[in-house]
Amino acid sequence: MSPTVNATDSLGSMLAMLLLRLWLGLRALQTGVEKFAGYAAREEVVEVDGEPNAYGLTDVDTDKVYALSHMRGVPASMYDRFLGEPLIPAFGLTVFDLVLAPLLLVLGVMILLGIALRCSLFAMGLVYTSLTFGLILLGQDAGIAWLGTHILLIVAALLFVQHNRFSIMKSY
Amino acid sequence: MEDNSTPNRMSRRRFLQSGALAGAGLAFGAPSILSAAANRAPSDEIKVAFIGCGAQQQVLFNAMRNIPGIHYQAVCDIMRDRLGGAFGRIRGTFGYNPNRYDDVEEMLRKETDLDAVVVSTPDFWHSRHTNWSLEAGLHVFCEKMMAHTLEDARSMVLTAERTGKLCQINHQRRSNPRYRYTLDKLINGHRLCGTINNVNGQWNRSVGASQDIQVRESIIPDQKTLNKYGFANSHQFSNWRWYRDLSGGPISDLGAHQIDIFNWFLGGMPKSVMASGGRNYFTHREHSDNVMAIFEYDTPTHGEVRAFYQVLTTTSAGGGYYESFMGTEGTIQMSEQRQYTNIYRESTAPSWNGLVNRNVVRLTAAAVSAAAGDAVASYESPPLEQYDLPGVFNKPVHQPHLENFFDSIRGRATLNCDARTAFETEAPIFWVNPAADSKDPIRFTDAHLKVEQKTISQI
Repeated sequence: MSPTVNATDSLGSMLAMLLLRLWLGLRALQTGVEKFAGYAAREEVVEVDGEPNAYGLTDVDTDKVYALSHMRGVPASMYDRFLGEPLIPAFGLTVFDLVLAPLLLVLGVMILLGIALRCSLFAMGLVYTSLTFGLILLGQDAGIAWLGTHILLIVAALLFVQHNRFSIMKSY
Repeated sequence: MEDNSTPNRMSRRRFLQSGALAGAGLAFGAPSILSAAANRAPSDEIKVAFIGCGAQQQVLFNAMRNIPGIHYQAVCDIMRDRLGGAFGRIRGTFGYNPNRYDDVEEMLRKETDLDAVVVSTPDFWHSRHTNWSLEAGLHVFCEKMMAHTLEDARSMVLTAERTGKLCQINHQRRSNPRYRYTLDKLINGHRLCGTINNVNGQWNRSVGASQDIQVRESIIPDQKTLNKYGFANSHQFSNWRWYRDLSGGPISDLGAHQIDIFNWFLGGMPKSVMASGGRNYFTHREHSDNVMAIFEYDTPTHGEVRAFYQVLTTTSAGGGYYESFMGTEGTIQMSEQRQYTNIYRESTAPSWNGLVNRNVVRLTAAAVSAAAGDAVASYESPPLEQYDLPGVFNKPVHQPHLENFFDSIRGRATLNCDARTAFETEAPIFWVNPAADSKDPIRFTDAHLKVEQKTISQI
C-alpha cells in the first residue's frame, strides 16, 4: 500500500472518530440539558364585560425554560411505573433519578473534549445499558432497539479510539 | 362473578354519619344528594381509594394530583401490573404508599376510614362497585356510562338517594368552564345562536386509533380470575368495550359524552330516536363500528330540535369530535379541544361588534367570500364571520369535575352531575343500539327514560 493511501485511511479514521465523538457527546450533553427543561405558563384571568370572568377562562402564554427545579432524570410517567416494579428498589430509583441528568452532562462534556475517552465512553455505555434494563421491565421493545444503536455507536468509538485526536486528556 | 348481595360492612362511625345525614335531609328537605354535610372543616383531608387502575384511572389521577386536600389511601385492581402502576404514581407524586387490594369487597371491609372512592372499572361493574361503596357510607365518583343497563343505572340513583351519599358521574364537560360559559353566557345569556333548530355532533376516529388493545399475556390475570370477574378470556379483559354483554360500544363509550351535551344544552330529554349502525371494518366485533342517530326534542326555549350524532371508528376525517348548536343567528361548535371549537355569525344576525368590544367573544376571521369559479351565485349563502371564546381552560379536562365532587363533599358546592342527572342524560343513549338493531324509531315514554319506572319489560 502506498504512503498516500495510508495517509488517506488515517485521515478518514481520525474524522470518523471525531464524528462519533461529536455525535455521542452532543447526544449525551443535550439530553442532559433537556432534563432541566420545563414550561412556565403566564396565565391571566380574562375580563368579560369589564370584570374578571367567574368561569375560570384565562389567557395563557407558555415559555420553555431551563431550571434546576425542573430537573427530572427519569420522566414522570416512567418513574411512576418503575415504582411498581419489584426489581427496582425505590431508593435506587430515587438516586438514579437524581444522578442521571448530571451524569449525562458530565459524560457528554468528557466525550466532546476527549477527556479519558475510553473510560467516558465505557461509562456512557453503562448508562445506556442501565436505561435498557428499565425499558426491558416496561416491555418497550422499540426503546430497547433505539438504545441498542447507541451501544453500537459507542462500541464503534471504542474500536476507533486509537485514531482519536484533539483530546484534552488522552490517557485512559 | 361475584354476587350482588350487599355485605354489611358499614362502620359505626359511618352508620351514625349517614344516619345523621339522612335525618337532616328528611327534616329540612335539604338536597343532601347534591352536597355533603358542611360539618367537615375546610382543611379536612379527604381519604380516597381507586377502584379500577387502568388507563382511565391514570387520566383521573393526573387531573386529581393538582387538587389539594386529598389523601390517596388505597388502590384496587385485579391486574397486578396496573395496581403497581397506580401505586407507583401515588408514591412518586406524594411520597407515601397507598394500600393495595385485588378485591373491592376486601378493600371496603378493611379501609374503615375512607371518605370516597373513584370507580373506573369496566362499565358492567360500575353499578356493583358504586352501590357497594355507597352502602359502605362512601361518596362515589364513577366513570360514565354509569352502568351497562338501565336497571343497574336505576339502582345507583336509588342507592345514592337512600344512603344520602354523593354520587357524581363523570360527564366531565358539565364542569368545564368553557362549556359552562358557552351555555350560560352565549346560548342562554346573549342568545348568540338565536333559535336553535338543529344540533350536530360527532366523534370520528381513525381505524388506527380504533384497533384492539394489545396487552402482554404474561401480565393479564389468570383464567380463573378473569372468569370470576365476568371476562371469558384475555381479549375480553383488554377489549371489553367491543362486547355487548360488557359495554354499550362506541355510542356509549364516545357518544355518551356528547349526547349528554345535547341534553344539557337543550334543557331536556329527547322524545324519540332513530338510528342506524353496522360492522363495516371491524367485522369480528359484536358492536357496530359506525353508528348514526337522530334524536328529536321538544324544548321550552327553542321548540322542536333535531339532533344528529355520529360515532365513526373507521375514519378520522370530518373535523374530529365536537357538538354543534346551529341556530338562526349563529352556530356554536363546541369541543373539549380548542382546535375543534368555532363560533359563526350568520350574515343576517345583528352585529356582534358590541360583544367583541366587551370581550364576550373574540373575532378570529372576517367573512370572506369564496372565490371559487364553480360556485353558482344563486345557490350560495353569504359567508360567515368566525369567532372564538374569550379565553381558554388550561388544566386537565377532568379536573374541574373532580374539584366539584370534592368541593361537594366539603359542602362548598353541589354536584354538577349527580346520579339522577346522569341517569336522565344517559337513558336515551341506552336506546340507540336497540333502535339501530330494529331499524325502527323509538318514541320515548317514562318507561324508557325515568328512574321511577321500575320495569322495562312493560314497554
